[in-house]
Amino acid sequence: MHVLSGILLVAGAAFVLIGGIGVIRFGDFLSRTHAQAKAPTMGLILCAAGAALELRSAVAICTLVLVVILQLITVPVGTHMLGRAAHGTIEVSIDEVDELARDKARWAEEAGADAAPAGQPGDEPAS
Amino acid sequence: MNTAAFVLLAGAAFAFTYRILRGPTLPDRVVAVDGLLATIMIGVIVAAARQNESVILATVLVVAIAGFVGTSALARFIERRGG
Repeated sequence: MHVLSGILLVAGAAFVLIGGIGVIRFGDFLSRTHAQAKAPTMGLILCAAGAALELRSAVAICTLVLVVILQLITVPVGTHMLGRAAHGTIEVSIDEVDELARDKARWAEEAGADAAPAGQPGDEPAS
Repeated sequence: MNTAAFVLLAGAAFAFTYRILRGPTLPDRVVAVDGLLATIMIGVIVAAARQNESVILATVLVVAIAGFVGTSALARFIERRGG
């Protein structure tokens, strides 16, 4: 059991190291986000499994399950918010496809079409 | 085994710190801080397994919540500031 938990802990730490290498090596912001969001989450799951095998108490297992669930929920949300916030300042240059810019242009167009007949630019929603 | 895990985590922490110091824009730094917080969480988990001490696992929960709140606050800040 010691050996299994040690292997899981080392594998989890190796995943985090892979994420760190990705954050150093990748060239643009979205690729770095990709490396940072996925690899350490996998490492956290493996390390939590290893520590649960080592500790084997109810408190430890409950806390680790809670941490893993929380991280699985919050990491995609935070990364998505960050990528969306940074979208205006970076150029998406990998394959020339920028769907958020297209959607933003379309939303602005629809908002303009909605606001024009009403003729009251004051009561547009602030966001 | 645990020492090897700590060595790998130290390498990851150096990588994220390099990106924090070097990152050309603020979002890069925020991403690197997020990764560094994940590294700290895993380090605390490995330390708990090493010392056979399950009390310090509550720290991991606190760090996870603080990291999410910090990331989302900085994301809103970047969005409002426009870069």
